[in-house]
Amino acid sequence: MDIVDLISPESVVPNLRATSKKQALQELARRAAELTGLHERAIFDVLLERERLGTTGVGNGIAIPHGKLANLPRLYGLFARLERPINFDSIDEQPVDLIFLLLAPESAGADHLKALARVSRLLRDKGVCEKLRGTDTAEGLYALLTESPASRAA
Amino acid sequence: MNSINLIILICAGLAVASVFTSVIAFRAGAPLLLLFLAIGLLAGRNGPGGIVFTDARAAFLIGSAALAVILFDSGFHTGFKSYRQAAAPAILLATFGVAITAAVVALAGHSLLDLTWPQALLLGTVLSSTDAAALFFLLRVGGITIRDRVRSTLEVESGTNDPVAAALTMTAVGLLAGGDIHWVGLAPRFAAEMGGGALFGLAGGTAIVLVVNRLKLEPGLYPVVVMSLAILIFALTNLVGGSGFLAAYLAGLVAGNARLQWAGALRRFQEGITWLAQIAMFVTLGLLATPSHFFALAAPGALAAVALIFIARPIAVYICLAPFHFSKRERFFIAWVGLRGAVSILLGLLPMLGGIPGGEIFFDISFLVVVASLVVQGWTVRPLARWLGLIVPERSGPADRMEIDLPGLADRELVAYVLHPDSGVAQGRSLPRWARPLLVRRGQRVLSSPRQLLAGDRVYLMVPRVQVSLLDTLFGRSRGTGDTDTALYGDFAVGPEIPLGSLREAYDLPLSDVDDRVPLSELFRREFRTDIELGDRLQLGPVDLIVRDMRDGKITSVGISLEPWAKPQIGWERFKTRLSAILGIPAG
Repeated sequence: MDIVDLISPESVVPNLRATSKKQALQELARRAAELTGLHERAIFDVLLERERLGTTGVGNGIAIPHGKLANLPRLYGLFARLERPINFDSIDEQPVDLIFLLLAPESAGADHLKALARVSRLLRDKGVCEKLRGTDTAEGLYALLTESPASRAA
Repeated sequence: MNSINLIILICAGLAVASVFTSVIAFRAGAPLLLLFLAIGLLAGRNGPGGIVFTDARAAFLIGSAALAVILFDSGFHTGFKSYRQAAAPAILLATFGVAITAAVVALAGHSLLDLTWPQALLLGTVLSSTDAAALFFLLRVGGITIRDRVRSTLEVESGTNDPVAAALTMTAVGLLAGGDIHWVGLAPRFAAEMGGGALFGLAGGTAIVLVVNRLKLEPGLYPVVVMSLAILIFALTNLVGGSGFLAAYLAGLVAGNARLQWAGALRRFQEGITWLAQIAMFVTLGLLATPSHFFALAAPGALAAVALIFIARPIAVYICLAPFHFSKRERFFIAWVGLRGAVSILLGLLPMLGGIPGGEIFFDISFLVVVASLVVQGWTVRPLARWLGLIVPERSGPADRMEIDLPGLADRELVAYVLHPDSGVAQGRSLPRWARPLLVRRGQRVLSSPRQLLAGDRVYLMVPRVQVSLLDTLFGRSRGTGDTDTALYGDFAVGPEIPLGSLREAYDLPLSDVDDRVPLSELFRREFRTDIELGDRLQLGPVDLIVRDMRDGKITSVGISLEPWAKPQIGWERFKTRLSAILGIPAG
């Protein structure tokens, strides 16, 4: 499960505008709906449900909201770089400016966890995050996300 | 006159060389004690140093005194809390465990090395105890924070099994010397060793506390009197037939857990003197050894080491820990970390001192086994602890802190901190009333009550000793979420009260046999009962659940580790990643 299997250049947003966590999730759900053809509201509800268990703001300005949806044909990723950092109730209480959304089919099971782990590992790399923050084109971000050593299975 | 100066020069030179090489050891991650041994060997008769030192009695004298110091200091640093947590399994390991280890090694020695039964038994007993010095050293100086119960078990075991092994070895020596062994008399003698050691140790420790807190002395004399008393207790106990090792350890335990005046100065002095004892002991034993004998004994030495490390220790550990609640990984770790050290080499001197013909063989073999153990186990402890997920996050980042003793105020301490830029206070957290600084030094200025504290300020506070650790969280580096922290805390955090059903739903976890409404924290309670600690892990199918944070004994946050077995990259892997990052090519 490599990052390149999760995202396409179309699923990278270089300058998402949002002022709150809720707004960011709504905006992400809207874009994910366009990509997947699923209902925006369904996606948003799933994400919100997951946030209720505990924040997906993993610290260092990163958030990895995720959830499972019944009618999804495969795993979908969506990466967004925020124009302005927002409060995401992160575990380190720092504002978030990089978000990787991951949606999985109901039946994904182990693949869901593997993909999450891969994303988590990629964004744990401070060097990668620094470069992501300094890049403002979708192509550039896509290249960074898919070509870093941590984005592939070892 | 010159010969005396020469001796002084050699001793001091060896100490200096040992200290200098420690720099290399820390860099290379090599077991430091091994290095001290190596220095002794190099200086010795087969090495470039060429010093001929054959006095086994002198070596035993130096080694015993050094060991008394080390054991006292180990006890001094062991909290009673460790005992409460680990007394039962540790003591079982220290008694039955030692006997089982000795028996299995003896069996191997008899069947594989063609030793007679008494000889094989002697070999087994010499090698039967884990080494407190080596273990404390690895766990403390190595900077490994492992789960309290595992660490306490290992520490208490190694502190208490030396006397058991010593008593067994003496018996085996007696057996070999041809004396009739009165098996009936063995048990009472053993009981006397243990009982005497315990009695003298506890009484001696209490005496040390009284002397320090009641007697008015020159401040510089307190550490000296404490150390002298410790050695006195050791020798006296030995003279009356008790176990001096046990007594020294227990005296340290009592003194270290009491409210002592000058505790800071005592700790600092003991730290230095313990280092010196380690160096003196290992260098002396290295000097005494004759490496040219080793070649002939390499095969039996290796066999004994293999039998000990891979068979005897695991068997002893798995049998002794069976009645207790340890996880599979914890048992594995304890079985692996049965480090042998100076105690075994010292015990290996006993046959020689007892006039057993061919007694040197036991010294040489125990020397080889200890080296093997330090290399194989010492070098792997850290990666293994990491791999097994037993490393526990430190509660707060390190603070630059110094303690100053206040005579007459045993329960308060004057503490100085350098405010870390990432600390809670520097980030704007407000100070509780009890943590208001007495004075603050900023650059060259001294401020008595600055409106705001800034990073880099040197802060002086007087606080009750129990609260000192709380200060670390205020003035030290707050926990970040760096690479290692994710490995320790997991990828995501969830609340402890969330129902298991929703967790199963979200991650397809195998939780079919529990009620969906049961809160997550209940899982930990079932597994660890009342003994939950920060960093405790539960394996749940493909993920690990980790106790991320606790307050007042209750879990306040649980981490989910998605790749519990994908350990942080070490060595070659990290190098490859770095290299590929520099060259800009993907790592393959």
